[in-house]
Parts: sequence; C-alpha cells; structure tokens
Amino acid sequence: MRTLCVWYPDWPLQVFETAKDLDCQGCLVVEPRPAQRRGGEAQVVRAADLSAQEAGIRIGMGRREAEALCPTARVLQRDLGAESRQFELVIESLENLIPHVEIVEPGLALLPVGGAVRYHGGEEDLVRKVAKELADLAPGARIGLADGPFAARWAAIDAVDEPRIIDDTPRFLASLDVATLEHQELIDTFRWLGVTTLGSLAGLPREAIASRFGAEGLAAHRLASGEDRPPHPRPISPLLAVEAHYDDPLETLDQVAFAARALSTRLMNGLRREGIAPHRVEIQAEASNGTTRTRVWRASDPFIESSLIERVWWQLRVWVEQGGVSGGLVRLRLDPADLSGDGRQLALLETVRGSWEGYDPGRPEAERALARAQTILGPDAVLQAAPQGGRLPGEQVLWRRWGEEATGAERDADSPWPGSTPGPSPALVPDSLQLEVEWDAGMPTRVRLGSRWEPVLNWSGPWRLSGRWWKGEQAADRYQLVTSAGAFLVVVRDTRAYLVGIYD
Amino acid sequence: MGPQGAVQQPTRTEPVLPALSPGQVVGLEGPTGLGLTRLGLSLLAAPSRVGMVVALDVRGWLSPASAWEVGVIPDRLVLIRCDDRKLWPQVAAAVLEGVAAVYAEVPSGVGEQQLRRLAALNRARRAALMLRPLRGDLPSGIAHLRLRSTGVSWEGVDGGHGRLTRRRISLEISGKSIPLQEMEFEDAFQLTPHVSRFTSHA
Repeated sequence: MRTLCVWYPDWPLQVFETAKDLDCQGCLVVEPRPAQRRGGEAQVVRAADLSAQEAGIRIGMGRREAEALCPTARVLQRDLGAESRQFELVIESLENLIPHVEIVEPGLALLPVGGAVRYHGGEEDLVRKVAKELADLAPGARIGLADGPFAARWAAIDAVDEPRIIDDTPRFLASLDVATLEHQELIDTFRWLGVTTLGSLAGLPREAIASRFGAEGLAAHRLASGEDRPPHPRPISPLLAVEAHYDDPLETLDQVAFAARALSTRLMNGLRREGIAPHRVEIQAEASNGTTRTRVWRASDPFIESSLIERVWWQLRVWVEQGGVSGGLVRLRLDPADLSGDGRQLALLETVRGSWEGYDPGRPEAERALARAQTILGPDAVLQAAPQGGRLPGEQVLWRRWGEEATGAERDADSPWPGSTPGPSPALVPDSLQLEVEWDAGMPTRVRLGSRWEPVLNWSGPWRLSGRWWKGEQAADRYQLVTSAGAFLVVVRDTRAYLVGIYD
Repeated sequence: MGPQGAVQQPTRTEPVLPALSPGQVVGLEGPTGLGLTRLGLSLLAAPSRVGMVVALDVRGWLSPASAWEVGVIPDRLVLIRCDDRKLWPQVAAAVLEGVAAVYAEVPSGVGEQQLRRLAALNRARRAALMLRPLRGDLPSGIAHLRLRSTGVSWEGVDGGHGRLTRRRISLEISGKSIPLQEMEFEDAFQLTPHVSRFTSHA
C-alpha cells in the first residue's frame, strides 16, 4: 500500500525551541534506553543539535559517552508530553489532507494515501500540498512516499532537501544497506556472511533465512523483499478489543492515566493468552457530550505492555489538555490490529509451508544453538548430510551447510551401485591419508600405524575400482585389513596405499 | 547405509546402558580403531527420535553414514567440525544449550575445568553428552558411565575372501555407583535390522 511518511528528525529539540522557547544551541536530548535495546547506559541520546553532532555525538549513544565527547553540551530530558501535544497540531493539519493518520511516535507519522492520491490528483500534488501545509506550521519535516511503512520511512530519511517519492520500491530497498534493519545482531551476522544490502538479502531463499535466523531473520527478509507487514496469522476477532465505560466522567489527568494503564494492561493480557501482539492500536475516546475522538498508533515492533500504556497515555493526555474530551471521558476503547504471532514461533512454522508436519517443539532452541555454533566457527563448519550413491564411503555422503536447502543427490542412493564397498560403513573417513603397507606375494602383511608396525591378522580384497578412464581416473583396488588395533579400508592406487576408512 | 545405500535399522544399544538418562555424561575411552566411534554414535539414535543431535568432529573424519546405520535419523543429525581446542568448549556449550544429545570428540588440551563446566551445563540442560577424548582419559568424576575399549576382534574376512560382518569389542564399564565390570559388545553387520548386544564376561 502506498504510504506517506512524515518525519521530524529533531522533533524533541524542535519542541524545546518552539514550545518552551529555549535556545537549543549545543543541546542534546536524552531519554531512558528503550526496553528492547539491552545493555549499555540507562540513558541514551535521542536528539542532538548540529554543534553537538559535530563534536561526535550520535543518536542512540549513551549519555555519559556523549557528555565525555562534548562536556559543554546542555543535556535536556525528553518531554514526551510536550512533544505529543505539539505533534497533535501537525496530525490535525495532516488530517485536513489525508483522513487516516497513524502515529509511530511524536515526530513520526505514517499515512496510507491510496484514496487521498486520487482525491488530490496524483502523488506529486498530494506531497506538494503536505509539504506546504507543514512548512507553514512546523518546518523541518522530511516527507517520503513509497510502498509500505518501512520503505516510506527510509524514503523520508533520505529526503533531506525535498520530499522523495519512490516509484520502484523494490529497487529502492535493494540499494539500502542492511543497517536499515536496525537489529544489530542480524546486521553483524549478515555483514560477516557478505550480505551487505537489502537487495542481496532479498535474493537469498526465504526458507534458508528462516531456518538460519528464525523469526527475526524472516521478518528482515520480508522487509527486504518489500513485504512490510507480516501476514495475519488468523482472523482478528472483534472480541479482542477492550472497552471501558465510566459512569462518572474522568476529568483529571490522574484519573485518565489510571484508566489508560488499566485498559492497556487488560488488552495485553487478553492478547498474551492468544500468543499474539498488535502492531497497531486504535484508541477511541468518547466525551460526556457525545463527541468521539479516534487515533491510530503504530509500532514497527509489536507493542508490549509498557509501550502501549505509554502511547495510550500520551494520546489521552493530549486530548484532555486540549479540551478534546469536554465534560470528561465516559468511554475508552482500544482496538488492536495487525496482530503478529510473536511468541508462537509462527514464522518458523511457515517454513514448512503452513502445515504442522515436521514441527518439533524443541526446534527453535536447537536452531538458536546451531546458529550460535555457526557464528563461532563459520558456516562451513556446521553441516548436515544426506545419503547419495557412490562406491567409496566418502562419495556416499552429500554434504550441505546447516540451514541450507537440501538439494537432490547427484547420484541416487537407491540406485544399484555395482562395485560399491560392502558395508558396514567405516565410522571414520579420513581424506585419503597415505598409509604404509607391506606386501608379500600380493598379500598384505603389516601396516604402519604411527610409529609402530601392526601385523595384518586377516584381510579381504582386492575389490577392483574401475576409474572413469575417459576422465583420466586410474583404476584402484580396495582392501579391508584387520589388525589387533582395528579394521581399515585401504585403497591401493598406482602401488601406493591410502587409508579411506577406519571401522572404529 | 548398507552396501546398496539402504539405511539400516537402529541398534539396540540404548537399553543396556543404565546411565543414559537426560543430564548424564558418558565417557568413551580408548584408542582409535577399537570401536568406540560407532558405539558412541549409536547412543545418539534414541535422542534423535525426539530432537536434534550433534556430533562434534575434531579431526574432520566422522562419517554420518555410520551414524545413519546405527539408527540416527539423518535429518536430525548435525556434524560440527571444530579442530580449535580454544573454541571447542564454546562450541560444545553452545550446542548443549539447544539440542537433545551431543557426541563430542575431545581434542587434547581441553582443560579439566572446562569439561566439568560442560558436564554441569549438560546436567542443567538435561541433554545427553557423550565425550570421546582423542588422547588419554577423562578426568575422574565427570562421566556418569565410562566405557573403556580394550580390544576388538572382527569376523567375516578370511585370506582375501568375504567382508567384515561382525565385531566384538571388549569393554570395561564403570561409573558412579557402577562397579567396574568387563563386558563384550557385539555388532553384527550382515543382519537387517542391524543387531548389537552386550554380553557379560562373567
């Protein structure tokens, strides 16, 4: 779906400048570290003035590190309430042009524009009108238009000087760096594997990515392929929405805050029982005079309880402070949408094409453990194998990296292989180690194992192995040699003996 | 996989090993060639029926075909090649976090403390861990069951004729609350299903 993104990169600073009339020269705004980003300092930089950025301060950096880089910087605590109130003015202005607005956070909004484009006579006209509207009200917006929220957001980030309209979204996405996925572990692993752009990621088989990186990898692959939203795991039941009626209208901020928390917790408890979480929540509030206000909030990661409480509270606070619920709040409703199956490993089940066949309850844990081993040793060290036809033990195994799709065997294991080495298979198959064997009248008598000679107690062979002469392969003879130190499979080629199997 | 590529049926190794319950460690000690690799891989057969199993291969020689012959489900077996003794404890610990059983060759140079930590992790994870030191024995107190191979004899070949059909491994079995006893482990390869059995020397 064509989506317009409006993004204010320095919204926290802009609010301090406009609403609080502060001179933000050399300022940086900090906020508590988001719950999903573990480790590091408790507070991180959310916005920084140009002069602070020139001193090396970056968004997401820890507060102490930033202060060390720029000791003269003035540190401001982010004021989400003020930001929400200010952004509400922007949203209302946007609603004059595009009726459906989804807020991601103060300073970032997404607007599905299918109908509005037709109404305003084309994408360029619509974007121009939006830019003009915002330039008068709150300058500094970056505007991007593309297929889906992810691409639209990166188009907006890219729209430094003027609005950016992306016609060919897959091509635009293909050119983006994997860092745009904003998942550091995945980014590091992809880079290590040589996957540096979303285009190269999208080119990899989805099932292999799901198998190797789990649900997060699958989500990244979808984004890279231009499929922004995960498929809905099941129809959304209207029963999942929660609603509360208040006989005595809620008029004070404290009362509204309590209601926001209680209803958000009720919604998330209900969803948790179903093993799902929403990407989008519609907040509906009814005032005692009968007016109803509605706003949609969206998150790129599914909402968790704390993030939902926060957003419901921001929204209600804005409405209450602006007098949008005159006479008090009498009804509050939260309607979840875009439900994700996080917590049910649904994404992994998709890899078996929607069926439950092959589902192993311990599989995700094993996937993680093997992925970890692959990270430590590299992809070539973690292997799976399938039987295939061949005459020597080493030929009878078709190797593949763990996580890669099994390909058909080059040589059919079920076909007859006349001349194949008789069973059992040696448990150890060295890669043709040269072996010293003593012979007496064509019969093996001794083999050298390390520094000692072991007498051959018994033996079988030779079994002739005819090489493909047209490919220059030589014929060879195979022997099973039994010593007191074990039994060995030996190939003799051109008077030299090679150890190709140990029956350990 | 048999001579014509057919995967043979599972061995009956597991019921005769009393200590093979989740969280316990089996030590397989003895020189290469005396039959412990196939025996160790056969202990992965039962866990492979409930989850993924791993064979940690230090020399790069382990053959999955041999594991399939003793009943390990091919799709559930992952071979990990690690010849770096510094990385080996990390890798072994990582896989123990998620799989049902691990058969691990132990390179020389892995410290006793690292093995004890691994055994403790195995207890916590309730996986099955088979440790096969490539040189020397395991430090005492790590394995709940120790199988030491002292010799192997083969049947089926005779002066250039026949093929390997049967082997007998002489084993010393001991462990926590298990007194030392000598046993013989017999593998018959010409039979389908492939049959293994323990026989007491007494």
